[in-house]
Amino acid sequence: MTGLIATPSAIAEAPGALAPLAAKSAASPLQSGQHVGWLMVAPTILFLMVWFAWPVLSMVWLSVSAKVVEGVTVPGLTADNYLRLFQTDLYLRILARTARVAALTCLVAALLAYPLAIAIARGKPGLARIVTLTILAPLLVNVVVRSYGWQTILNKTGALAWALKQVGITGTPSLLYTEWAVLIACVHVYLPFMVMPLASAIRRIERSVEEAARVAGASRFRVFVRVILPLSLPGLAVGSSLVFSLAAAAYVTPQILGGNFSPLLGTLIEQQILTLNDWPFGAAISTLLIILVLGSNIVFLRLVNRRFAKWTGGSK
Amino acid sequence: MNDDISPVLKICVWVLLALVVAPLVVPVLMSVSDTPFITFPPQGFTTEWYGKVLTDAEAQGTFLFSLKLAGVVTLISLILGVPCAAGLVRYDLPGQGLILGLILSPLIVPLIVIGVALLQTFAMLGSRATFAQLVIGHTVVCLPYVIRTVSGSFVLVNRSLEDAASVMGASPLTVARRVVWPQVRPGICAGGIFAFIVSFDDYPISMWLADGRNFPVPLFLHSMIERSFDPSIAAMAALMIFFALLLVLMIEKAFGISLARLIS
Repeated sequence: MTGLIATPSAIAEAPGALAPLAAKSAASPLQSGQHVGWLMVAPTILFLMVWFAWPVLSMVWLSVSAKVVEGVTVPGLTADNYLRLFQTDLYLRILARTARVAALTCLVAALLAYPLAIAIARGKPGLARIVTLTILAPLLVNVVVRSYGWQTILNKTGALAWALKQVGITGTPSLLYTEWAVLIACVHVYLPFMVMPLASAIRRIERSVEEAARVAGASRFRVFVRVILPLSLPGLAVGSSLVFSLAAAAYVTPQILGGNFSPLLGTLIEQQILTLNDWPFGAAISTLLIILVLGSNIVFLRLVNRRFAKWTGGSK
Repeated sequence: MNDDISPVLKICVWVLLALVVAPLVVPVLMSVSDTPFITFPPQGFTTEWYGKVLTDAEAQGTFLFSLKLAGVVTLISLILGVPCAAGLVRYDLPGQGLILGLILSPLIVPLIVIGVALLQTFAMLGSRATFAQLVIGHTVVCLPYVIRTVSGSFVLVNRSLEDAASVMGASPLTVARRVVWPQVRPGICAGGIFAFIVSFDDYPISMWLADGRNFPVPLFLHSMIERSFDPSIAAMAALMIFFALLLVLMIEKAFGISLARLIS
């Protein structure tokens, strides 16, 4: 499982950090004592075992080892928390909404990311730099502020309503506190995570392949569909798995833009634990969220790896 | 063959960039509105709301608290992360794949789940040390950024320079200080800055572990959005946006570090 966990980020950062680490040459002959290496690594491993692995695993364990009956926690092996999650209409709706918002965020982000990624990978240096900075700079703005920014736009008296009024459209319902608002803001917040892997995938496509297609008479659009799109699929997979994972687990953005009318799984966890004090059920939802995120990572990478093999099969 | 992109695509790109910037520009515009409520387009001009925010004791307190928290988290992440990154690059440890998996997992497991799991553990241990809990929670998510960035710079270290220095009689300490350190310093700076940003901006972990006396900026902003309707909240958002712009300039100009490494 750990191998799979490392894959998406490892692919994303081929020019960056850990990829060369994995492929590094034999250790320096100057320093042979492995124990020195262990000594350097051990504090971090210990820290993450105690404060990450153990807490997460014990929470997963809690979800099957106790349940709350009429406000009292009853210990004992049980699947009731999960059964309750899948048999209650309200929770199923929230689960479906979470999957829907995450999938749509992914889809819209991918559609918007392609032009931006192409501009970064293929545009003139000046344009590429402007696009990169404009896409990445918002990452440094707190997610609360970015979500609030959308609130000031989507509000009844906000910028969008004003702009629509200028062109003569009035009386449109406010998008704020709807699933649409959550979707728009999620796309905005997570777009950089789609653009950057795509841009680095497109950058790696040989220009001569595109040029050959153009010389052979293909239109720009055809070049995109037949060359850039298939060859950038690995980047799309990495971007999609990142965006889906982040959007599925989003808490702040849905809270600020969706209010209590369209909660996602994150909000449900918070309610169950902080308001209702139902820890085992909250643990079950958390576990489900982990499974959703890990599952999506595996699916995206598998799907595209197979596709990718088919697209490029026989071309070499 | 024209290397540049088509004009249609270029228009799309500029429209998209405008949309990306819009939610950051609108609050700034609204923050100078001379009205007791938030409205678009802003009416009049006043800096009154900035004055109100900057002199607000609660806002000052949370800002200082977040600086302190992020500072401590950065320090601990570097103390743990730099040797770890060096060890992973320099030594061929058995089970390296597993170690990497463990280190990178906090980037995959949803933050909100890490937060709730830590809260459960702290409750089980009977801990009441909120500040230490926040430091631990933030360090768990900052470590992967530090280790990823720092190990990248250790991989690029030129080994023959080290050999040359020690052949010339330099002690291992001198080699580390005069040869290795200058080469890995940018990576360590980048790792530290990223850790600081990740900690300063964290919401989903802090929301579980914070209390009234240990209340970081993002939580404060959220509570302000829910209970205040005058443009002072827009002014606060604008200040955060200016702060981020300053960080961008610092990172790109002063440190020469690419922001792209925050993502990958």
